[in-house]
Amino acid sequence: MATLLEADNVVFSYDKKGPKVMDGMCIKIEEGKKTAVMGCNGAGKSTLFSILNALREPDKGKVLFRGKPLTYKHKDIIKMRSDVSILFQNPNDMMFKPYVEQDVAFGPENLKLPKDEVETRVQESLFAVGMEDFRKTPIMKLSYGQRKRVTLAGVLAMRPSVIIMDEPTAGLDPQMAYEVMEIAEQLHSSGTTVIMASHDTDLTYSWADELRVLYGGKCMYAGEPEPFYADYESVQKAGLLLPTVYLTNKTLADLGRGTLEPYPRAQSQMALKTAQHKDVNLGVLHVIKADRDTDVNAIIEDYDLGGLSKGVYGMSARIAARAGSTPIDFKYNGPENCTMKCLDGKDSVLICDPIMFDKAVSSAMFINDHGFGKINIDVV
Amino acid sequence: MSEIFRLEDVSFTHPGGTRKVLNNMNLTIEEGSRNAILGANGAGKTTLFYTLTGVYKPQEGTVYDHGAPIEYTKDGLRNLRSDVAVILQNPDEQIFCSLVEEDVAFGPLNLGLDKEETAQRVAKALRDVRMTPFARRPLQQLSGGQRKRVAIAGALAMNPKIMIMDEPTAGLDPQASMEVMELAEKLHLQGVTVLISTHDIDIIYKWADTSDIICDGRIEYSGPAEGFYSDPETVYRCGLLTPSMFNMNRDICALDGMDPAPYPRNSCEFTAKFGNPKKSGRIICVGAEEEDAPAKYEEVMKDLSGVQTGVYGSDVRYALTDKNIDIQFDAMDMCFTGAVEGKDSVLFYDAIYAPTIKEQADRLRKIGFDVDMEVI
Repeated sequence: MATLLEADNVVFSYDKKGPKVMDGMCIKIEEGKKTAVMGCNGAGKSTLFSILNALREPDKGKVLFRGKPLTYKHKDIIKMRSDVSILFQNPNDMMFKPYVEQDVAFGPENLKLPKDEVETRVQESLFAVGMEDFRKTPIMKLSYGQRKRVTLAGVLAMRPSVIIMDEPTAGLDPQMAYEVMEIAEQLHSSGTTVIMASHDTDLTYSWADELRVLYGGKCMYAGEPEPFYADYESVQKAGLLLPTVYLTNKTLADLGRGTLEPYPRAQSQMALKTAQHKDVNLGVLHVIKADRDTDVNAIIEDYDLGGLSKGVYGMSARIAARAGSTPIDFKYNGPENCTMKCLDGKDSVLICDPIMFDKAVSSAMFINDHGFGKINIDVV
Repeated sequence: MSEIFRLEDVSFTHPGGTRKVLNNMNLTIEEGSRNAILGANGAGKTTLFYTLTGVYKPQEGTVYDHGAPIEYTKDGLRNLRSDVAVILQNPDEQIFCSLVEEDVAFGPLNLGLDKEETAQRVAKALRDVRMTPFARRPLQQLSGGQRKRVAIAGALAMNPKIMIMDEPTAGLDPQASMEVMELAEKLHLQGVTVLISTHDIDIIYKWADTSDIICDGRIEYSGPAEGFYSDPETVYRCGLLTPSMFNMNRDICALDGMDPAPYPRNSCEFTAKFGNPKKSGRIICVGAEEEDAPAKYEEVMKDLSGVQTGVYGSDVRYALTDKNIDIQFDAMDMCFTGAVEGKDSVLFYDAIYAPTIKEQADRLRKIGFDVDMEVI
């Protein structure tokens, strides 16, 4: 894949006498890959992000977008900030307007888009974050989690090619954290390059294709997560810990219970890999690929799926399920919840956005492909 | 154990509000217990904390402190607050001074302590959170994670009897989160009653004895975590998730027809339960004080060069900074996991943690793994 965004030997300090926060930073972000950026507090993650979207100019070195170095001319900077959007950790840092709809419209209006295009984007972005009922609400009245969603809507409304999410789940309860992860997956499925900084090793391990580890203003590791975690000394130096699933999988492999590879990334994968009885009857995972105008209820009725637990995953599936007021048991973390039902020997129904199908069945496929069990996937 | 706090039919509505943020809440906090206060955003956790510290006076019901109703008078509240320290989720809400050391000294000086005692407590607290080099720095130059640690130091310097921590690990890197949990455990061993509210269910599942689940301003469940997590519908309704250890254990046991209990809560217990371990690796447990840790290290390691080493606790970690330590963080779980694999290790820990180490060995024995452990 092509390199989309690159920092080449970047040096940066906040004041001339102060320490170098970036000290020869070389980092490449591949187009379309899910990249996790990790590192201890103060490793330079937030500074790197502000350099990558031209909020700050490096003292030395350069930033390249699609192979072209940034010039830091006004026009270039504006273009760069619409191509590369940052969702900051603290939503209060990026609220510009008193009312929700104004705040979300702020970015697109700045891009000088036609009015009805702005309106469409505001509507869709607010729906994507579950805040469509709060359009006219003053920002002041929103809770922290709600503000976080509004700022995410503001970023979505820009339709950037790269989204950088800085600690997107910090301070959110598990339910909201899963909603944010689903949006990240949706963006990835629709071709956006998503970069995520997080301290949650378990979360990033289950999500990322690629790992970048920052230390002392440099990138100390770039590649898939497993080789990095295999080097405990580096993990420790970077201020990190091993993901639980990685550590337990490795220990069991060392003890001769199963092999090291394939690496499970999710709980259900780890559980099935570890269980010794692979011949137990698992449930069927019925998947309804739902576009926005799919009549979900009719499908459920036709295939007699009414009595089963149902999960929903992805934007078009949510729109379709809402239009038909389909009763949903798992409104968040749908794929993993439905897969766990199957592990329990029960059938389940996952209503999913067609572009997110691969991710939706990834745990079930992992289990099937490696002979850890058999979950029949029935695409309705 | 005796009760430290008790809420009886407590309801609270914000002035001008209509919704009961606490809605007929009943809750007992036992002295010296390890408590997790869990709930979705907006469930009422923070309001509960403000109610326990007397900041909010409930419109209905009674809050008892050591068996007596809280008196909302100046003296009554001062007494209450000299016992209770709170670490807020957002550190910026509890920063009072411009310099780090001044900020940490603020509480102790307010308690009327003399300068010398205050200086000692400040130095100790800053070291416990690894912020000593920043003592003379202005707070506004610090990162969010660093400010969080300063806020924690400020609470530690109060030497409270009850410590309330609201999202203490949010925004901290994984190692710093482990340090916070070590500190929470140390406070527990010192007899402090610790209440932690967090969304990090995996971290808290390893630590808490009692989980109090709040849903829509009421207590939905109070007791050992497993009793709550065994009821997935309620967990889902409360907007929570089950810890990954709990999930994996449940699924494997269901598939293999095993008893889910005893429940593994961390990596060593999980691998001991499912890895069919053979011979245990040996863990040499060395409890030490800051002063004698380097000498003990030299003495123990004389005959054990090459064996993996770990540190647990801020005193020993600080005292052994220039020694060769393989595992700096989460070392207890890592060394015990090593033992399950048959690997030997030496674990240096602050002497106060001896009961925690023993508790870990006992939990492994319950799972059927007899860890080979020598305490020096």
